[in-house]
Order: sequence, then C-alpha cells, then structure tokens
Amino acid sequence: MAEIILEAQNVSKAFGITQAVNKVSLTFNKGEIRGLIGENGSGKSTFVSMLCGIYPLDEGKFILEGKELNIKNQVEANLNGISIIVQEMGTLSGLTVAENIFLGHESKFVQYGIKNTAAMNREAERLLNEYGFYHINATSMVDHYTFEDRKLIEVVKATYFNPKILVIDETTTALSQHGREELYKHMKRIKEEGNTVIFISHDLSEVIEHCDTISVLRDGELIDTVKSSEVTEDDLKLLMVGRELGSKYYRTDYGEPISHEVVLSVENVSIPGQIENISFNLHKGEILGFGGLSDCGMHELGKAIFGAVYNREGQVMLADGTNIDSIPVAIKNNMAYTSKDRDNESLVSNETIRNNICLPSVSDLAERGMLWSKKLKQFAEKFANMMSVRMANIDQFVFELSGGNKQKVVLARWLGKDSDIIILDSPTRGIDVKVKADIYALMDDLRRKGKSIIMISEEIQELLGMSDRIIIMKDGKISAEFMRDPELSEEDLIKTMI
Amino acid sequence: MLEPTLQEDIKQKEDKHSFSDFMPKYGINALLPPLGLIAIIVIFSILTNMRIVEANSINLILSQVYVLMIACVGVFMVMTVGGIDFSQGSILGLSSIVVSYLSFYNIPLAILAGIVTGACIGAVNGFFHVKFRIPSFIVTICTMYLFRGLCAYFTTDSPVAAVISITKYNVTWIKVLLTVLVLVAAYIVFNFTKFGITLKAIGAGEKGALFSGVRVELMKFLVFVIAGAITGFAAFLNVIKVGSITATAGSQLETQILIALVLGGFPISGGAKVRFYNIIIGTLIYCILNNGLVMLGYDSYVQQLIKGIIFVIVVALTIDRRTGQVIK
Repeated sequence: MAEIILEAQNVSKAFGITQAVNKVSLTFNKGEIRGLIGENGSGKSTFVSMLCGIYPLDEGKFILEGKELNIKNQVEANLNGISIIVQEMGTLSGLTVAENIFLGHESKFVQYGIKNTAAMNREAERLLNEYGFYHINATSMVDHYTFEDRKLIEVVKATYFNPKILVIDETTTALSQHGREELYKHMKRIKEEGNTVIFISHDLSEVIEHCDTISVLRDGELIDTVKSSEVTEDDLKLLMVGRELGSKYYRTDYGEPISHEVVLSVENVSIPGQIENISFNLHKGEILGFGGLSDCGMHELGKAIFGAVYNREGQVMLADGTNIDSIPVAIKNNMAYTSKDRDNESLVSNETIRNNICLPSVSDLAERGMLWSKKLKQFAEKFANMMSVRMANIDQFVFELSGGNKQKVVLARWLGKDSDIIILDSPTRGIDVKVKADIYALMDDLRRKGKSIIMISEEIQELLGMSDRIIIMKDGKISAEFMRDPELSEEDLIKTMI
Repeated sequence: MLEPTLQEDIKQKEDKHSFSDFMPKYGINALLPPLGLIAIIVIFSILTNMRIVEANSINLILSQVYVLMIACVGVFMVMTVGGIDFSQGSILGLSSIVVSYLSFYNIPLAILAGIVTGACIGAVNGFFHVKFRIPSFIVTICTMYLFRGLCAYFTTDSPVAAVISITKYNVTWIKVLLTVLVLVAAYIVFNFTKFGITLKAIGAGEKGALFSGVRVELMKFLVFVIAGAITGFAAFLNVIKVGSITATAGSQLETQILIALVLGGFPISGGAKVRFYNIIIGTLIYCILNNGLVMLGYDSYVQQLIKGIIFVIVVALTIDRRTGQVIK
C-alpha cells in the first residue's frame, strides 16, 4: 500500500444555489499522477481551487501529510508545497520572465530590504536552462512570448521548488504537441521524485496514457477512482456522463459532394505581419476546417473574414458582391463569429443571458423602433432552450455559467440570428464530451440545412471528424488543402503544419 | 491590466472581506436606494423638527432638483457605457451664457442654441475620447478647464444677464413639465430601444459588444453629444432661475451629478446593472441632504465633509468589484 500524502475529507463548496462540490473525499498517494476528469461544471476546477486556497471551503478539510491545511492564497499554498498551473493565462503581463517565476517569493532575493534583481535573473536563467527552455530569456518581458511559451514559464514557476502536490488544470489544450511533451516530462519527473501530480484534462486518451489512477467527478460528487491501466476511453465517458453516449460523436458520412455554389469568397486577404495573401471559396452547406499551430494566423484569419480586423487588406465577398469590411456589415449579412476568447469576445460576460442572446438580433426584434422586454425574453428563452443551456433563469448573468454553457449561449445567439455563414473559432475549447457532442450534432444539422461553416480548430481529431475540406495554415500562409477522407490521418495534417 | 486568473484571485480575496457578504446576492442592493431616500427624509425631519417637510422647504429643494436631474440623465448614459463626464459644469455655464445672450431675440432660439452649444462641447469630448483613445475622465477634465476659461472670458467685465422677462418662465409647472419630458423620453430610449440595450452592453463588456455588431465608437461618441445636449437644455432652466450668469455658473455640477447617481445606487463602472430610477432617487437624496445640512446650520466646510464621507461609504458599499476596472 502506497503512502498517503494528501487526503480530502468531505470537501464541499456551493456558489449560490449551485452545489459545485458535494462532500468529496479522496486520498492521493505519494508518487502518483492522478487524473481528475468530469464534464464542465462537474466541480474539478472548484475542487483544486479549494486545495490551492483560491476559494475557501464551505465544509470539510484537506489533510497534507497528517496536518490539516489552512491556506488562504496561492503563495501560502506554495509554502505548503502545493502549486497549480491554471487553465487560463497565469503569467502577468508587464513583468519579466524572472519576476513571474518568483512572483510571491521575491523575499528570497532580498537582502537588507533591497531586492537583488541580478541574482533573481541569474537563478531564473539557470532554471530555464535546466528545464531546457533555452529560447526563453529570464530578463525579457513575458509579453514577448506566445501563449505556449508563457505556459512553459508557468511550468517552471509551478515546479522549480519541487512541490509535494502539483495541480495541472486543463493546461494541455493550450499547448502544441511539443509543449505537451515538455509538460508530460516534468509530470513524470515530479512523480519520480516521490511527489504527486493532479492532472485535469478533457482529453481522455492523454489522461489514460499519463495518469496512474483517475478520479471521476459528476455534478460535484465523486463517482469513482479507477486504475488507468484497467479502463478505456468509453468506460471513462460512461462514468463522466452517467449514461452511454451515442456512438455518433463526429459525422459519419463520407463522400458527399460539396455544393458548387460559392457563398463567400476570400481574395488575397492579408494582415501585415500576421497573414499573407489568403484566398479560398466557401461553398453552401460546407464545413470548411482550418488547422495549424496556434500562431499560424488562422485565428486572425477568422477575425479578418468577419470584418473585425481594421488593417485587413484584400476582399471578403458574399455571393451577391457585398464586401464584408466591418462587424455590423457582416452581421447584417447573416454572418456569425464565435471567438476563441469566449469570455471577452464571444460574449458580454457581465450581461444577462437574455441580452447576450438578443444583442445581435435587436434590429430584427424591434417593432417601430421599440423593444418590448416580453418579446426579448421569449426570443432568448426559445433559443436558450433549443441549445438546452443550463441556467437558473434567462436573467442570470453569463459569467456565472460554466464554459460549456457559455458556449451554448454563444451558439444560441447566432441560431437566433439565423446566420448563414458561421465562423467557429475553437468551438469546443475547454468543453466536455457531452456538450462537444451536442455542438458537433448542431454543426451537422446546420450543414444539412445549407448553412456554411468555417471551423478553426487546434484539435486535429475534430478537423478530421467534422470537415468537408481542411485547409492547413503555416506561418500566415495556406500550406495544404485536404478533402474529407476516412483514410486521412493526423500525421498527414501535422506534416503540413510544421 | 491584470491577467484574468490573477484578477479572479484578487476578486475572490476581496469578496471574502467585502460588505456584500452580509447581504444576499440580489434584492437588498436594489432596495437600498429607496430605503436610503426614506431614511434621509425621516432623519432630517427629526433633526429639523419637521421644518424640512414644510411647503416652502419642499419648494426650495425642488427648485434645486430640476437642473441636476436633467443633467444627470445625460451623464447616466455616459456612465452606463463606462465613461464619465467632468465637463458638465462648464457645459452648463457656457450654454447658460449662450441662452442668456440669445434670450433678447427669441426664447425658442435661445433654448435651441443652448442645446447645440452643449452638443458641440459633447462632440469635442466624444471626438477626443474615441478618436485618440484618451480615457474620458482625462478628456473631460481638460475640456472642463477649457470651457470654464471661455465662461470666464465672456463674463470678464460683468455677469451676462438674460432678458428680464425670462423669469416669467420660472414657474413650477413649466419646470416640472420640462423635467418630466426629458425623463420620460430618456426612460423610453433607455429601456425600450436598441440604443439603450447597446449602451448597457458596451458598459458590461466593450469587446463582447463589438463582436455582437455594436458600433461601439459611434455609440460612445453619441452619448457624449447627447449628454452635452441634455445639459445644454438644462441651461434654460438654470437661466430662468438665476437670471444672470457669472464665471462660476454651473461649477461643481459634475461632482453633484456623480454623487447623486451614486447615492441613487448607480454602479460606478456602468454596465448591465444600471437602473433608470438611480437618477430620480439619487437626485432627490442629494438635494434633501444638501438642504437638510444647510437647515441644520452647518458651515459649508462641515457640509462638504459630511457629503464626502457619505459618498465614500456609499461607493464602498455598492461598487461592483467583479468588473475589476472602473472608469474608461
């Protein structure tokens, strides 16, 4: 029997009426990598947030090496040997890499009240080299680095002091294959040093491959803890959802011809310094996938097509010759866009679900210039229900919803607008299997109705599974194009990305 | 600007120690402003031996309400989108001068010119705020000084007097009618039109609003123009009350507006939680407080001290820590 390092006893947390975590008791052994999985809103993030002192506990306690933990913030958590790599950006802009790594621990370098910055930089540089991140410079501002590099900086920050417990919350979705490998390497190192990793991810194959044991949460409750060597992805899905998922996850059809009718033509679109001379046509009823590394320019291209980039060059034309050069023009012509940055761009977070759904359609909803709240409510409820958004009521604020539910609100608003050309940037980013399946089913349905979809995605499986056509971008240019084909493999695509 | 996660941490930490822990999440906060209004009436009734609820006191209080309440309407819109307008006092001053000059020729023309003057100043504010991306509080502090300077120039030799006969409009029903007209029009626009819903959306999340098809820059420009125009209209009520305009006419109006709105429960960073009644209740609370303190015979510095303390307490109680950012 392995030695227990951390024990959670009856840990509970409620937000308002929502019981996010309900009496969860778990033990973690020394030297194991523990996967923590569950749908969106199942309480994974809340659970680890309590462990790291980000949220106070309502009930229950954490016991680390026989002592009850009483920590109030992440710095205290670090001092107790617990660190976390968070889902979103965890580095602070405007600070150097070294300052970020030692954030909260500057006192190590303080002598007689004066911080020895040179010593701190030297130490950071040493750590970065030790980790093999030679391309990152300790004295540079973190702002100079890509999202992925900033995540690597966080890896250093969270692991350099050999924490007893390392929590990795849904980090890998932001990383490329290379970044992931780096992360796995350090997970393994920490494990071998006799410490424990708690690994949260929606990517079940990754969880099975890299974890020793897996705990499953559903609706805030612990369902089971299983050995990863004894389960399959389908077993885990069943545990997470509580019912058998239909076999239909991605589209199953192959060989359907694409319509010849062009609904949107993109001609020589460039954004100085980001993308160069992109041209393609979008056909009626087609799902056109865009793939590539996260900085290949595909996200910018999505924005540019929607008229959201002010220094765009080239033309985006509808079939009737309308040039799309601003967001209002795009929306007026039934184009829709969901951003990778869901909280800031896809939604108005500090607004109600009702207004978020109605906002793009307000002109259509007005009767002689007047908007009646009853009508707005009915409209919003209709489409929220169509997307089965889990909410207290339609006037709930969007920031209170989980990631998957937020995305449903985003889709509900564009369904409400009855958009014909839909640009989906990372539509399933950070979203659990059940909602993912819902979104894929919706996309398939829209396609059959003759709507055209541009899907920009960093998930290769999703591109292969859903697209009629896949365009791969590299360094701001189109590098390859593939037609839908059951024989097409991940490797084929990856080769053209790098 | 902090990164989201850290912001979230800070939010969590702050929430732990905030007053909002002692109140239910919804409900009570919305009731606070009306309760505050009742409380302040009761308190001053007791302190002044009911003098404050006598007819002549009420008349006096009301006479101060009109201009402030109308000016609040425009700033209400500016602050809903997350901006602020410190140039309101100068707008009132300059528009009042224009109204006074033109009152010798034609009253409707004078009113119109007052509105146009206000709108022009608002356009200057909006232009610099939007085109040069300068935070609105900086732009409007600049224009506050700029147009106050113009006021001083026009009143160097002597105050600018309006035509004597203009005071015949200084009757309660006209002032009430004009105030109610402005309020009703703004209420309808704010609650039942696309304009209103998009204002709130901009305040709640500018980027999100932009990606929903809102013409954010145009809207921001327009609210400043409207805020100027509305206060330019209030200048007419100001002129019929005071008759002649001095260099300091309207000064401090901006702070009065700010305090009144906040006392009325206005969330200082704007957004989805603003309510139209904030204007009405806030203005009433402010004017009653103002007059009550005068009636109690406090020196003006003590009055300011008390108002300052109340303002800070109310902001501390009501500010929305979640948005993390205050005024753009």
